[in-house]
Amino acid sequence: MITTMEEKPHVPAAPRRKKFPGWAVGMISVAGAVALLSVTSYMTNFPQLTSSGTTQTAVRLMLPILLAGLGGLWAERAGVVNIGLEGMMIMGTWGAAWAGYQWGPWAALVSAVVFGALGGLLHAIATVTFGVNHIVSGVAINLLGAGLTKYLSTLVFFPLSHNPRQSPPVQPFDTYSAAGFADWLGELESGQRLFISDVAGILRGLVTGVSPLTMLTILLVPLSYYLLWRTRFGLRLRSVGENPHAADSLGVKVYFHKYVAVIVSGGLAGLGGAALVLNPGQLSYLEGQTGGRGFIGLAAMIFGNWRPGGLLGGAALFGYADGLQLRSGGDTVLALVYGVVILLGVIVVYQLIKRKWFSAAAAIVVAVLLYLLYISLDEIPGEFVSYAPHMVTLAVLAVASQRLRMPAADGVVYRRG
Amino acid sequence: MRRRMRGVAVAAIALTSVMTMAACAKDSGGGSNTSNNGSGAACEYATPPTAPATSNTSAAAGDKVDGSALKVGLAYDIGGRGDASFNDSAAAGLDKAITDMGIKKENTRELSAAPNEDEAAKQTRLRQLASEGFNPIIGVGFAYAESMKLVAAEFPNVKFGLVDSAVDGATNVTPLLFAEQEGSFLAGVIAAYQSKKCHVGFVGGVEIPLIQKFEAGYFQGAKAAAPKIEIEKKYITPAGDFTGFQDAPKGQEAAKGQIDKGADVIYQAAGASGKGIFSAAKQAGVLAIGVDSDQYNQATVADTKDVIVSSMLKRVDVAVYDYIRAVAKNDLASLPKVFDLKVNGVGYATSGGKIDAKLQGILEGYKAQIIEGKITVKDKP
Repeated sequence: MITTMEEKPHVPAAPRRKKFPGWAVGMISVAGAVALLSVTSYMTNFPQLTSSGTTQTAVRLMLPILLAGLGGLWAERAGVVNIGLEGMMIMGTWGAAWAGYQWGPWAALVSAVVFGALGGLLHAIATVTFGVNHIVSGVAINLLGAGLTKYLSTLVFFPLSHNPRQSPPVQPFDTYSAAGFADWLGELESGQRLFISDVAGILRGLVTGVSPLTMLTILLVPLSYYLLWRTRFGLRLRSVGENPHAADSLGVKVYFHKYVAVIVSGGLAGLGGAALVLNPGQLSYLEGQTGGRGFIGLAAMIFGNWRPGGLLGGAALFGYADGLQLRSGGDTVLALVYGVVILLGVIVVYQLIKRKWFSAAAAIVVAVLLYLLYISLDEIPGEFVSYAPHMVTLAVLAVASQRLRMPAADGVVYRRG
Repeated sequence: MRRRMRGVAVAAIALTSVMTMAACAKDSGGGSNTSNNGSGAACEYATPPTAPATSNTSAAAGDKVDGSALKVGLAYDIGGRGDASFNDSAAAGLDKAITDMGIKKENTRELSAAPNEDEAAKQTRLRQLASEGFNPIIGVGFAYAESMKLVAAEFPNVKFGLVDSAVDGATNVTPLLFAEQEGSFLAGVIAAYQSKKCHVGFVGGVEIPLIQKFEAGYFQGAKAAAPKIEIEKKYITPAGDFTGFQDAPKGQEAAKGQIDKGADVIYQAAGASGKGIFSAAKQAGVLAIGVDSDQYNQATVADTKDVIVSSMLKRVDVAVYDYIRAVAKNDLASLPKVFDLKVNGVGYATSGGKIDAKLQGILEGYKAQIIEGKITVKDKP
């Protein structure tokens, strides 16, 4: 990671700002993150930072957030703010449970998408056709999702489960593991060698106990990228989100593209609901089970700068931090603070090379403060630990907010002239 | 050129300091506790107290009580009758009172709360029951504490019962409190004796004083049975964020984390999240202890019931029944201040057959000591 940084001074600053293509930046970030975690876990002696168990937990907790975030991405790229993701997700959970207990997990997926898409359709009708304020419509859909599912579950589930808040059990997906490969990685992981064991741990977590839903979700990220950035349809959809008047004058059907985007958005959020229902620990509809994940998905999308790759990173961060605090508790999260200190150190070096003295000084101050915190505490208090992911997001947003760029006409009601 | 040299020099110095700092991590950290699996040996148990020869636990005074004149109102917490848990337990107490004391079914009324409803809705519910002449009125759950404080003052002649909470200064509100820590103490003893690696865990739903009572008793019980036992604990969410009671996926990950550290019996006090804890135990082939009702027989967790060794019972039905009975006899003073082990307000379930006669003897021994006051169980961790 450091070697790539040191090549920087030879690059002239202004004319060629974009040196690497997006995928290379992604690869470098992943490698950097793994290297950072690896060094942290080695230095602090917390192997669970990169263990396969932690990785698996992170992936499981990430799925609903990632799907909600993708939903947000589709809607906002077409210029519709979708704060109703939570409500669409709730409708998805009900749909998944209703089809799931009768016809199995695949039917649950389809039904969840349909129910979520219905919520999306409603949002589209309100915001696109009738020009309702996007936030107002979204909040209404959140309320409607909670209320409607409560009514439906009392009606449909209560006679079967004798509990108006819960559905009968749903059949789970079978999970798949790359058996031989995972065993070999397991040997590497238990060796506790710097970097190799960490990479092996993370990889092993990624290839064991994978359900079809996980694969589908991960595939949806490049698929969304392809559809939105590499097809004619995607270009039109994004143009509607950037400048609907210009798009309209060029003959792009603005309403049609907004409708499609918001309906797909709802379908993806609904799929996120299915990911909750089909989680092996849950396997049923439970009132209030989404617990604000729709909003977190929206935050992950903003974190990712309205891009699929960044969104994946944001969702992974939430899943990882949440999984770590659930599995290991305060002392391990404290080790992560140490990792942040190292990260800040690297940033300082980078800023010094770029001769940004002020930013470097600020980073040094923060690093020293965090390091003092790390040295003086034995573990982070539980109240903070639970909100570690939220705080990391806040910190990242505070640092990176100048570089975030939302679609220009996001949240603007468009009336055909 | 010289400026650049200086910049590189500064960068090099900074780089060195990063390296140095990187070497300054604490050594006290996690240690090698990941590969604990298998290394833990069986517990060394403290000598258990001997079981009393005859355990005559409050032989229920069998005199017949006539309650046919009573009009009983029940205000449930979220979920209402049919939640297979707390509210159902209260409903069972009412049903027993109906059959035993000749209360007329049409003279009872059950109302249920909605999630996230405001205080006004709870007050209206209680006020409605009181003004229709129901007396006594029982609020099921601490959520009714605030509204009952107001409504009880408006209806001084109506008797109110409040499960899981007390209202200061209201003479007509009878608190129905439980000694959850005493039942959890026995759950801790069970966990210690069921653990093969002398390493157990506790997963709480939300870190509120009510759930901390479970934690405190469990820790004390496990340590009393096996002084060197290792105990993991985790609350799914901190106080104020009540989603921890209904997030089974997170409950599952919390339990998995404890199992990966080596725990092989997990006690849960996490409401609907408990399902995830049972599921994690089943996937890993370890054991779990349920809470509130006899979860081995609970339909919602039927697919994982083979991992449920026992459940800490909180007999809301006993409290509701005893309260109605005391009202019918017009003798509220006879009610216990706290429904504890002595009056069978809390206890443990033996369904599933994993608690053999020997362990049951040990448990009865500890139980007798708690009842006699030789062991005082803390209610705060």
